[in-house]
Amino acid sequence: MAALTADDLAAIASRIHDQNASWIRVGMSTCGIAAGAERVYAALEDELQRQGAGVQLKKCGCLGMCAAEPLVEVNIAGMPRVIYCRVDEACARDIVRGHVCGGKLLQDYIIDMQSEDAS
Amino acid sequence: MITKTVLIKDTTPGSTSGTKEFFDVFTAALRESKLADEIRLVRAADIGVYNHGIVLKILPDNITYANVQHHDIKRIIGVTLKHGNPIKDLLYQPRAYQLRLVLKNCGRIDPESIDDYIAHDGYRALSAALQAGPDTVIREITASGLRGRGGGGFPTGLKWSMTRSTPGNEKYMICNADEGDPGAYMDRSVLEGDPHAVIEGMLIAGFAIGASQGYFYIRAEYPLAIERVQKAIDQAHAYGLVGERIFGSDFSMDLEIRLGAGAFVCGEETALIASIEGKRGTPSPRPPYPSVKGLWGKPTCINNVETLANVPSIIRNGSAWFSRIGTENSKGTKVFAVTGKVRNSGLIEVPMGTTLRDIVFEIGGGTASGKRFKAVQTGGPSGGVIPEHLLDTPVDYDNLQKLGSIMGSGGMIVMDEDDCMVDIAKFYLKFCVDESCGKCAPCRIGGYQMLNLLENISRGNATLEDLERLRLIAKAMQKASLCGLGQTAANPVLSTLRYFEDEYREHILNRRCPSKKCTALLQFIIDRSRCKKCGLCARSCPEKAITGDKEHGYTIDTARCINCGMCFETCKFGAVERN
Ligand SMILES: Cc1cc2nc3c(=O)[nH]c(=O)nc-3n(C[C@H](O)[C@H](O)[C@H](O)COP(=O)(O)O)c2cc1C
Repeated sequence: MAALTADDLAAIASRIHDQNASWIRVGMSTCGIAAGAERVYAALEDELQRQGAGVQLKKCGCLGMCAAEPLVEVNIAGMPRVIYCRVDEACARDIVRGHVCGGKLLQDYIIDMQSEDAS
Repeated sequence: MITKTVLIKDTTPGSTSGTKEFFDVFTAALRESKLADEIRLVRAADIGVYNHGIVLKILPDNITYANVQHHDIKRIIGVTLKHGNPIKDLLYQPRAYQLRLVLKNCGRIDPESIDDYIAHDGYRALSAALQAGPDTVIREITASGLRGRGGGGFPTGLKWSMTRSTPGNEKYMICNADEGDPGAYMDRSVLEGDPHAVIEGMLIAGFAIGASQGYFYIRAEYPLAIERVQKAIDQAHAYGLVGERIFGSDFSMDLEIRLGAGAFVCGEETALIASIEGKRGTPSPRPPYPSVKGLWGKPTCINNVETLANVPSIIRNGSAWFSRIGTENSKGTKVFAVTGKVRNSGLIEVPMGTTLRDIVFEIGGGTASGKRFKAVQTGGPSGGVIPEHLLDTPVDYDNLQKLGSIMGSGGMIVMDEDDCMVDIAKFYLKFCVDESCGKCAPCRIGGYQMLNLLENISRGNATLEDLERLRLIAKAMQKASLCGLGQTAANPVLSTLRYFEDEYREHILNRRCPSKKCTALLQFIIDRSRCKKCGLCARSCPEKAITGDKEHGYTIDTARCINCGMCFETCKFGAVERN
């Protein structure tokens, strides 16, 4: 492929931003994987398929709250974006059935952090 | 139709049922106000605030209330949930906050997708740098005040301009991802979570100093980081962002990974260079510095992972933006790996100048056990401990040095009253003795002698003169060692002596370990009144020093006991006493 130009960057960026507004992200760095994130990812993938939910499932790095891994962040259109912590396979399936399909946030799993993001 | 969400968490230490109780009362109140269908109540596992009673977070308004009482519920429903107005006296004002510059993409983007990185401003800084030219880039980095995050705190812009101004048409850029400090894993996390940011930083640095080849030196114990960096290099290659004529310019640079075998000393720059050259990883005297004579004798610039990860956002946002964050002499943020006896083990990124107290208590949530905080160790084996009464010190390079510790690469280990300072000093010194390459005598012999003295203290076989001996050897090691490993190896001993000399004296004079950690000074006995005669202790004893049977109970034969503490750990009834 030909070398990228600065204009290509903008094109790639807008293509990514246009994608599905609803997504689930699983922390898959060493800390997450050690705590079982791969099993959680597989359970989410399986349950999303079973329920036929049109939600994008993604991997990401570590959010910093390593003691609370596996972390799963869920952004479903029309609902608050939240992070679930210490997620296991059963909880992963509950996230799909309850949160993604049922419009309900799960009790006792949400973790919040006080932080500011810079540009 | 749901309009608002309320997260609830009781943050009172030790409380187990507070969240549920409050949730139930709130649920009833909502039903009474006929709002049950509009407001969603959720019990949170962790709300990011600690020791502030009941804490509520209201979304999407993003209002946080702390120390909420049951009688506040009515007001909250009437004022905030119905009308969206905040209640001033309940508002939570965070004393400290995280500021994520280096970690901005970590946990947010897919580290295996270059497109995702590009969608988050990725490679825009590289494109801008290539247009601006090397001198402008170096001027920006210098003006930003960025200092090396690998431990030394050397001004990055100055290092780049020194390497640039050394004559030579072959220069090298190296990213130091050896990260050997016990408890530190900031660099691993950045490489795993946002590898392209470090690659972009490498390319900008390489362009600035005039390099056409760069190496990532990553320890082999980081397989996932290695895999993701390699994948990222390959993707960047495919896009023409690494390799020949980057962005169609005259600038060409290749990147490769070199694996380290996990020796702490190979993080030292001259040893690291030797290791890449295929030689034994031992340091050599400086000068000449790598910027003059580095890899294969050519001018070389070595930067830490976190240093390089800062570069793209400085180029994108400008040096003025960066230098507004932090303190006079320490700009920007620092990522810390906060571990040990802390509630929230993990990575935090805070502006330079945040106090240790805010890091440990506000963000870290205090001690995990709820026990009394004793000290925090910074700077790993080259650093020292900082006791409770100095916790209000703002963290920056100069302040930590004044306290006898160092910023180091960002490891921060929290200790509570169960940690013995002699034991801690022994742990770090043992690490340095194990990791010493043995090339120079002060480090090789001095470290070993100091460790012996510490062993004697922890066994109660020492005299007060031994404290002077420790200080004397420490001074010799600081003055005469070849590299930073030996020069700083005594720091943990000196700083524990400085702040906790009483504890050392207690071991020596009264043969007592106040934290009950130094097992040689302990005596284990079975309290017959509490013993349930289950026999678990006898089975756990590796020396068969516990005799008896289920009828008559058990006793410890102190002559055979090796003070390992297994019985103490095993007994479920607290019947084994440790004195
Ligand atoms: C014993 C020893 C171990 C070191 N380990 C590391 C390390 O793991 N990572 C690192 O970046 N720097 C380490 N350093 C510091 C490096 O020698 C060098 O100063 C640093 O990589 C320069 O990068 P910076 O200017 O971006 O901080 C170590 C130094 C010593 C003396």
